[in-house]
Amino acid sequence: MNLQAWPVQPGQLVVLVPAATAVLMVLLARRSNAVNFAIAILGALLGLGAAGLLAAQAARGPLPADLPTIGALPVGPGIAIPLRLHIDHIAVLVTGAVAIVSLTVQAFARWYLFHDPRYRQFAATVALFTAAMQLVVVSDDVLLTLVGWELMGWCSYLLIGHDSEREKARRAAYKAFLVTRFADAPFVVGIAALAVVAQTTSIRAIVQHWSALSGSLTLTAALICIICGVAGKSAQVPFQDWLPDAMEGPTPASALIHAATMVAAGTIVLARFAPLLAGNGTARLVLAISAGLSTVFAAALAFCQHDLKRLLAWSTVSQVGLMLLAIAALRPGVTPDLAVLHLLSHAAFKALLFLVVGWLAVLTGSTVVERLSGAVTDHPRTRRLVAAGLLALAGVPPTMGFVSKDLIVDEALRSAADRDAASVVAALALIIVVPLTAAYAMRAWLVLTHRTVSERYQELDVIDDSRSVREVGLAEMLREAEPVDAHGHALEPAPAPDPEPVDDSPRPPIPTRGLLWVLALVAVFGGVLILSPWLTVDYLHPNWWIVASALMAMAAAAILVRAMALRTVYGDAAARLPRYVRSVASRGLDLDRVYVALVATPVLALARVVARLDGAGERGVAALPGAAERFGRWSETKHRRTPTTGLVAVALGVLVIGLLGVTLW
Amino acid sequence: MVAALWVAGVLPLLTAAVLLALSRLPRRVPETAVFVISLASAAISLVAAVLVVWRRPSVDLPWVPGLGLRWQLGVDGISGPLLVLAAAVTVLAVLQVRTEPTKGGSPALHQACLAAVQGGAALTFLARDAVLFFVAFEIVLIPMWVLIAVFGDRSEPGRAKAAATTFVLYTVAGSTIMLTGIVGLVYAGGTADLARLSGSGIPAGQQTLLAAVLLLGLAVKVPLWPLHSWLPAAHTTAPTSGSMVLAAVLLKMGTYGVVRLVVGPLHEGFARLAPIVGTLAVIGILWAGLICLVERSLKRVIAYSSVAHMGVVMLALASGSALGLQAALYGNLAHGVISALLFAVVGGLKHRWHGDDLQLARPGARDLSPRLGLALVLGLAASLGVPALAGFWAEFLTVVAAWSPADGRSVGYFRVLAALAALGAVLGAAYALRVARLVWAGSDTGDAREPVAKWPDLHAAEWVVVSTLALAVVVLGVWPNGLMQLAAPVVRDLLGVAR
Repeated sequence: MNLQAWPVQPGQLVVLVPAATAVLMVLLARRSNAVNFAIAILGALLGLGAAGLLAAQAARGPLPADLPTIGALPVGPGIAIPLRLHIDHIAVLVTGAVAIVSLTVQAFARWYLFHDPRYRQFAATVALFTAAMQLVVVSDDVLLTLVGWELMGWCSYLLIGHDSEREKARRAAYKAFLVTRFADAPFVVGIAALAVVAQTTSIRAIVQHWSALSGSLTLTAALICIICGVAGKSAQVPFQDWLPDAMEGPTPASALIHAATMVAAGTIVLARFAPLLAGNGTARLVLAISAGLSTVFAAALAFCQHDLKRLLAWSTVSQVGLMLLAIAALRPGVTPDLAVLHLLSHAAFKALLFLVVGWLAVLTGSTVVERLSGAVTDHPRTRRLVAAGLLALAGVPPTMGFVSKDLIVDEALRSAADRDAASVVAALALIIVVPLTAAYAMRAWLVLTHRTVSERYQELDVIDDSRSVREVGLAEMLREAEPVDAHGHALEPAPAPDPEPVDDSPRPPIPTRGLLWVLALVAVFGGVLILSPWLTVDYLHPNWWIVASALMAMAAAAILVRAMALRTVYGDAAARLPRYVRSVASRGLDLDRVYVALVATPVLALARVVARLDGAGERGVAALPGAAERFGRWSETKHRRTPTTGLVAVALGVLVIGLLGVTLW
Repeated sequence: MVAALWVAGVLPLLTAAVLLALSRLPRRVPETAVFVISLASAAISLVAAVLVVWRRPSVDLPWVPGLGLRWQLGVDGISGPLLVLAAAVTVLAVLQVRTEPTKGGSPALHQACLAAVQGGAALTFLARDAVLFFVAFEIVLIPMWVLIAVFGDRSEPGRAKAAATTFVLYTVAGSTIMLTGIVGLVYAGGTADLARLSGSGIPAGQQTLLAAVLLLGLAVKVPLWPLHSWLPAAHTTAPTSGSMVLAAVLLKMGTYGVVRLVVGPLHEGFARLAPIVGTLAVIGILWAGLICLVERSLKRVIAYSSVAHMGVVMLALASGSALGLQAALYGNLAHGVISALLFAVVGGLKHRWHGDDLQLARPGARDLSPRLGLALVLGLAASLGVPALAGFWAEFLTVVAAWSPADGRSVGYFRVLAALAALGAVLGAAYALRVARLVWAGSDTGDAREPVAKWPDLHAAEWVVVSTLALAVVVLGVWPNGLMQLAAPVVRDLLGVAR
């Protein structure tokens, strides 16, 4: 089949299919969840099919790099807005990952939100979200990128605020949108500045135009503006605080937002501008500081979280920080493929972890440590999935997480050896974050696989029983006791032991679990992607000393965490930390209050002042007609109804001037 | 096709006269008859408007030969979409009246006012002659005044009358100044023909003076900060249909006047005043955005958001480039559709709630009335500039246009304005989502002892009105090319001829 001859190319289909799915769901599935699910899953499968076609096209030969969308906007001579798509190998890989994660999330959501009255809205939003992300991935126009970017922000608002009966969810959604939108203001200005000088909004043309002006101050400022927007959407310092709060959304939404879409989109956008960043040390330094701080800070906070879902949220901040560090450490001429590789591996293991934690939360009723402690032991079906996800998160060889993370560390240290400031910052952050990641992954594993939970339950049973013991007389007891032989064994034959208890706890249907297994397999074996010709990654010359020392550090961290977890009630290593530290860390260092004090309160105070001023102005204007009327009445009272001498003087004056005018004309 | 031109411009005025006569009859006319007449008139003139935009007929007859005034009608790519918008929103407003019982006066008078507003607006957009433009412009004010004064919100005694008086006096003051400007422009340009005015070569000094006078007059109509004080009160008191027409028809005429009378003919003068216009526009964006964060009345929030959006349009105009003009025209139209949608929804809510105080705890509209909730959240999203909805394009293109203003304007200063406008967009998100959080998601904390009062969802005519507008919002957002293609040649002419 000749794909090139199709009227709609796979590159356009990857965006169109999920968008059409969302529209169809809104229009068709008004009542039935089942119909809605059918559309959702069919749409997601077709979306995956489109991504597959794209991959097939890429495997066979040159990609149709340049595709139109709605046609260029006719906005005059000063600037061209072509609104076209560009497909490269990165786009092929990432669209595939997004499609797989989206399909898994749709399948899982049907099970997870089966009784939710808003399931239909949820599924439609997920489809729209997917379309927006795919658009960012394949876009070759800053305007299209912005369309996808803002649309994702809006969808995340809807998903986080899904349970809008709860005030916490409403606030989290509001906060998420406002924080990211605030960061988008410089983003918009930055891309406007780049586009105006290049006289086009095509990303490739912009990159080409500005590459010649790499030292320019405008470029540095514009890039920093773009980095600012990326930091907002990717929840990097100083905008990180919205993401943990966003855990108010249902778990499948978190899996989508964190794994493959919005939070990771920043990496894609910066990867598109990578040639400009590589030549601009200042912008890279800003990026390195923001991402470096985020990755270390978030990893440390992740270790202290009392809620394992929030642990995963902070871990996302940290992992996205890693991707951005990979871009910050770029040297001129090097492609940003490492960051994209880590994006792919993160997409696999983070989606997997979120969905499995969601599954466990259904079983145990919550995601806090007390409830989840020992959950994996009780429900062995989840054991391997959790193990795969956490191993990849920690970066244990040979998982995909290990491959992508280790290559980033390797690259950053090499660049740092060249005394490049941004790379030095990146390398420092990476050295700290590698053992920290292993530590919090180990902590999560120990909590989930804690064995003494059943003993705790037995203790509880004993306490309960002790309260219900009846007063029993010795004689009655002897009379009613069962007959025994000389050795105290019962004379009656012992009843047959119960058959093996059947694990009938709720679980996702088999296809959904199959998809989870796909994610797990990718998380473990996806590292082979470095062999593909689509990624230019230098994997043949690793510095074995770096690899070995990173592994040693990880092992040491893991052993330390194991030791800390010993003899704790819930197998929680963080329980050894002071309670104050844990509680502040769980609140994200109370940065929310700082946001409120620094931004919300002053803006609202200013708003009140302005509203008062405006009210005064409005009352003043409204009083004018009345005042005019009063003035009229007042002047009438002065009127004595007789011609005055003054009026005669005025009339004479007019006459004189008139005569003068006529005579002098 | 010339017939279509007459139908589009004059039929609504005739209908208004007939309905007015009916409302004066001693015997009460059946409400349905009034409704059918007005709906038929609005629908026919909508079809005529579409035909006019499609076939582009024109009329040129002597009107007042002594003064050289001509009865000149026609459309181009700028006025055509506005003509259609005015007719379409009037059709919907007529339907809307049907769902909300008329209070204060007879339905015939109500419909007559709507028809008269539409007729005046249609003639304004069709006029090719500056004086005819002014006359048509003024026709609109009186029926609007009646709509507010007679059919307005009567919850507070005297409020409707006061708001209407303020509205009419304020805008008539603006008109007087505008008339001075138009007379000066016609005198200086030597013709009242709007097309020929653009190339009339008025000296730069005079241009600045005329532009200042015209802008002062038109700024009241747009409205531009700080001359917006009549708008919130007028919107809050007007009935839902009146608010829709006010936002989607009346405010469009102000910006249209700026494009026709100032940007085209007085290019150099406008360039000199552009920094002032841009500054006022940006202050308006931020000012109105801040007020929306604390305003208690839902309808006033939407009214102030109109001030902010018109600020965006004026900033785009002030930038003076072709991109800016396109962004302004698109933003103008998008605002018409979005605010008509929001006023339809919010008016419906006010009707159901018997008030529009945001501080009362209420259950979420998304659960209680899903259609109403969906329409509201769609309107709010469009208003804050979510892509794939109408509001997005103008917002981003305005920032780009202000970042690269046309020649003769200070680049550095306009870049500051562009950055501030981008910040204004953040405020836009903050207040739109504030409303969404309180109304759509619900502000009910669940501990209210009183059982919540339920309200009915959108149905029948109201649902038709709202879903039509919502569809328009989506179409304008997904496919902006059509309108921009339509406007592109006119934009080139307007700016090219003047250079």
